[in-house]
This record gives sequence, C-alpha cells and structure tokens, in this order.
Amino acid sequence: MLIEIQEGKALDSVVRHITQEKINLYAEASGDFNPIHIDESFAAKTPLGGTIAHGMLNLAYVSEMMASAFGRSWLSEGKLRAKFKEPARLGDTLTINGKIDCVEQKDDVSYANCSFECRNQKGEMIVTGETIVKFSSDRK
Amino acid sequence: MSGKTISYEELIPGYEFTPVTYELSTSFVSKYLQAVDSEGDGFVPPLAITACSIAAMTGSFSMPSDTIAIHASQELEFFKLVPIGVTIECHTRVAQKIARGKMSMLILELEVFDKDKEKVQSGRATIALPT
Repeated sequence: MLIEIQEGKALDSVVRHITQEKINLYAEASGDFNPIHIDESFAAKTPLGGTIAHGMLNLAYVSEMMASAFGRSWLSEGKLRAKFKEPARLGDTLTINGKIDCVEQKDDVSYANCSFECRNQKGEMIVTGETIVKFSSDRK
Repeated sequence: MSGKTISYEELIPGYEFTPVTYELSTSFVSKYLQAVDSEGDGFVPPLAITACSIAAMTGSFSMPSDTIAIHASQELEFFKLVPIGVTIECHTRVAQKIARGKMSMLILELEVFDKDKEKVQSGRATIALPT
C-alpha cells in the first residue's frame, strides 16, 4: 500500500536476515562472484574475517522500502545516493528505516526528499543515504 | 556477457569498458527477486539493472592480487519503468582513479539504455581497494 506523502512521515521498515544462502542466491542472480562474498575460506583470511553481503544486496532492501512507499514513482523516476559504512555479515539482521524529510514543489511536479539508514542488530550503521522521488501533485 | 578483461593498473580516467548487453528475462527477474526477498510488481526492479551494470564492470577488469574491492558508495537515477523481457545495454567508464596512502579509489560512471537507445538508468559507483 502506498503511503501518504507528508513531511516527517516514516516509511515502513524493511527487516532482512543475512545468510550465506541469500548471498549465494544474489551472486547467482547478479553475476557478482567476488570471493569475498561467496568463498568462506578465502574471506576468512582477509581483514574482514568472513564473507559479507554484496553492498547492492543491502541496497536492494532500501529499494524495496522505497517501492513499497512510492510504487511506480520510485521505479521510474527515483534517485538515490548511498554510502556503505560497514559490511553486512553472516547472521546479521538488517533493519532499514526511512522517512520523508521534506516535500518540494517545482512547477507542477512534487519531490519527496527522504533519508534512510540500514543498521544491523547491534545498531551499527551499514548503509546510509538519501533518496528523491518525483510524483504528481495529486498523489497525496 | 562479452568484452575483454584489462588489469586494474591499465584503467585510466576516461577509459570506457566494452558495452555489455543483458536480456532481463522472466527467469532472471525471478531469480533476482528470490535473492532479494521481494515479491516484485511486474517490472524489472531498478537495482536488478544496476546489478547487471556492476557485474559487467567488475567482470571487465582484473584486480591486483591479494586485493579485495569494497563498494564504498553508489549514486543512481532511474528514468523509466522497465518491462520484463527487455534487453538493456550497460555502458561504464572510469571517471576517476585516486590513490590515497594505502587506499585506491576507483570512481565509475554507469549508463544503461534500452533497445530504443533511451536511457533507463545512470549512476556512479565508488570502489575502494585497500592495498
């Protein structure tokens, strides 16, 4: 269900648990077989100490939250800027929260400026960033 | 996927990777949706398209040995809905290559077009390589 577009409005959170099976599925789907994601013995010898989720997998969860809130407006005219702060590791539970910071109107078009955070179960920031969604003024 | 592979050392600002085409088939989209735990909504998820671009780019150059690439940041802009079954062409170029102490940063610009040469998506990815 699409949300009411209003400044300060929180977006529905997305919660996802990271498993090696999900990382492997993402590697298969995306074609990104970097061993840091899929080779546990290789990853164990790196400073990261183990496999990590693809950054784009974490970002896909952000996109899921945005699509739930804004529907096709996000899919067709969304903008995103994200910083990957820490890797998401096996066993992590990621919670993605977002909110509409402000709504701007330029000509007959409205823009929802949102911020988001993706944190793990320890509260550590995994991804942070901003999004902008263009939508018609009658969608409120 | 096609195109030659070059080494990280050979990448210079302005270098353009060979464009890569992908068919965003029903099976590709289903696999992607399963991987990201999403039900989808009848269109290709924009980040599935980005995933193709990233894979095209990372498969086109070889990393220095014993180096891991870390995705540091990502910017994206979507321009249109993409129906399932469409074929896209991913273009990637090196925007900047920066060496700072023990860290190298590669900044890449991505553009994706559909078969009508209309832009579907553009973006900028920063890849960090601790050396």
